[in-house]
Amino acid sequence: MELFNIFIKAAFIENLVLAYFLGMCSYLAVSKTVKTAFGLGLAVIFVLGVTMPVNWVISEKLLSEDGWFGVDLTFLRFILFIAVIASMVQLVEMIVEKISPSLYNSLGIFLPLITVNCAILGGSLFMVAREYNFSESIAFGLGGGFGWFLAIIAIAAIREKIRYSNVPPALRGLGMAFILTGLMGIAFMSLMGIDPTALTAGK
Amino acid sequence: MALSDFLKSKEPDKKTSPFLHTLFDGFFTFLYSPNHTTKGGVHVRDGMDLKRLMIHVVLAMQLCFVFGTYNMGHQHFVSLGVHTGFVEAIHLKLVYGLIQLLPIFIVANLVGLGIEFWYAAKKGHGIEEGFLVSGALIPLISPPDIPLWILALSVAFAVIIGKEAFGGTGMNVLNIALLSRVFIFFAYPTTISGDEAWVAGLARDANDIWVSNYSWIHTGFFNGIFEFFGANDLFDPAAKMVDGYTGATPLSLAAAGGWEAVTNVYTPSQMWWGSIPGSIGETCKPFIIIGALILIATKVASWRIMLSMVVGAAITAMLLNAWDANAFMAVPWYYQFYMGSFFFAMAFMATDPVTAASTNRGKIIYGFLIGMVGMIVRVLNPAYPEGWMLAILFMNVFAPLIDHYVLESNISKRLKRA
Repeated sequence: MELFNIFIKAAFIENLVLAYFLGMCSYLAVSKTVKTAFGLGLAVIFVLGVTMPVNWVISEKLLSEDGWFGVDLTFLRFILFIAVIASMVQLVEMIVEKISPSLYNSLGIFLPLITVNCAILGGSLFMVAREYNFSESIAFGLGGGFGWFLAIIAIAAIREKIRYSNVPPALRGLGMAFILTGLMGIAFMSLMGIDPTALTAGK
Repeated sequence: MALSDFLKSKEPDKKTSPFLHTLFDGFFTFLYSPNHTTKGGVHVRDGMDLKRLMIHVVLAMQLCFVFGTYNMGHQHFVSLGVHTGFVEAIHLKLVYGLIQLLPIFIVANLVGLGIEFWYAAKKGHGIEEGFLVSGALIPLISPPDIPLWILALSVAFAVIIGKEAFGGTGMNVLNIALLSRVFIFFAYPTTISGDEAWVAGLARDANDIWVSNYSWIHTGFFNGIFEFFGANDLFDPAAKMVDGYTGATPLSLAAAGGWEAVTNVYTPSQMWWGSIPGSIGETCKPFIIIGALILIATKVASWRIMLSMVVGAAITAMLLNAWDANAFMAVPWYYQFYMGSFFFAMAFMATDPVTAASTNRGKIIYGFLIGMVGMIVRVLNPAYPEGWMLAILFMNVFAPLIDHYVLESNISKRLKRA
């Protein structure tokens, strides 16, 4: 139940894109069609879901003072996190290239750029700051990824729809995407404030 | 045809005064549907054009307007402890309600239509009628005591960012009326929450006591008229709020103490018939249902969305009953429909054909999810008293996605059959 709460919270209530505005660059750039957005969203779910527990092991067992070495190495956190994320992204890239070359081509540079997608590094840093344990970090990673995935396919569907709208020329493309993201953020505020842990504690 | 000839002779020139021409065109097409034929492409031609479609919605909510006006006056006098019977001092309550409602209505329409007219003149197309419905809905979903400058600001935000940036009527992604309401809700939270917001015309005096807040128009102008016609009941400028009166809405009572706390203050029939504090148009359920039936009968609104929304909300409320972790969850599921603005949101908000899903299967999914999310926000989210506004905006965001996948599944089904 605790894990489910963390999943729901990361996916809907504290959505990485629409509540923290993390991972905006690929979110805005790849959301032109639902198909590519879907592929990138799945890649982000995978990378977040895998890097989070790996990074948990690194930060708890290698870098912390209570870990195996007994030395405080937390200054290495950022570089090690990035290294883990980069290697995972490499893995995803190889898989996508093998399975679906068309998706690989349409994602282009944004697939390797997941490495510097701040939603993913941000997720790992949230995990450290909130002191999740191993299984909680998996739930948080999958939930955060799922929230990112939902946000990007929702905006992609809207952008496919407004392609036929008479948008003022100055706002076409990115301008509209920014306005849409803001409006979606307002809509997602509906769930902000729900505290799943408090609800289950009452039971 | 004499009238149309006369009006045509008065038509301003499009080149020299574009703004006047758009203005003329907007009102002319109210009276006569235009008879230009389209050139090229296939078009459906129907007497039921956008203006007449919109007017159906506005007509369907007239009963809510009448009741809302009266109820605003009624709640005001109940808070002061005078004329507490529902049909006492009808003249005072109606006049009071009208004095509150008219400025809200005029400001909302003036700002919204003003922006629309300006854009229409600037872009050189006819006036798009989209704001007719939004302009009628916004007063109904406002709290009675909303400051007019906040209302004007929120309407301007909703029309410019929510609609004109997307290219005008029919292109918006989020419901305009709800967007303006949510703007007030998040930008000026103190004006729209708290128990005092739902009863009009009260202000704190120097001793921190709530007193009636009458202006010269009540005590000077209308009291003069009433005296002239020999009425005994007048606006009393010295009236004070009765002790123990809070103006709490059923929902805030339920959130605090469950169904028992609600029934201590209001009876279920009172809630059903709507003599309770709340947003102007949302309280009287039977009149809203009549409006919904008009919309269904004229096929303006989709029964699929309404039905699936009721089902979704009922199922979620039953599940919450089963979970039963706090007093609010334990409120019997059928009584959840007595409180708040469920029916209003169902009849006039969720069925907005522009922002809802447009495929038939999509509509059912869309309505069902609104019912679920709205009930979850209402009961589980302590930050907000009511959930439908936010639930509908939330699902507006996902409506294009639902449509996309319904279409995809239809395509793949037909490909398999071929």
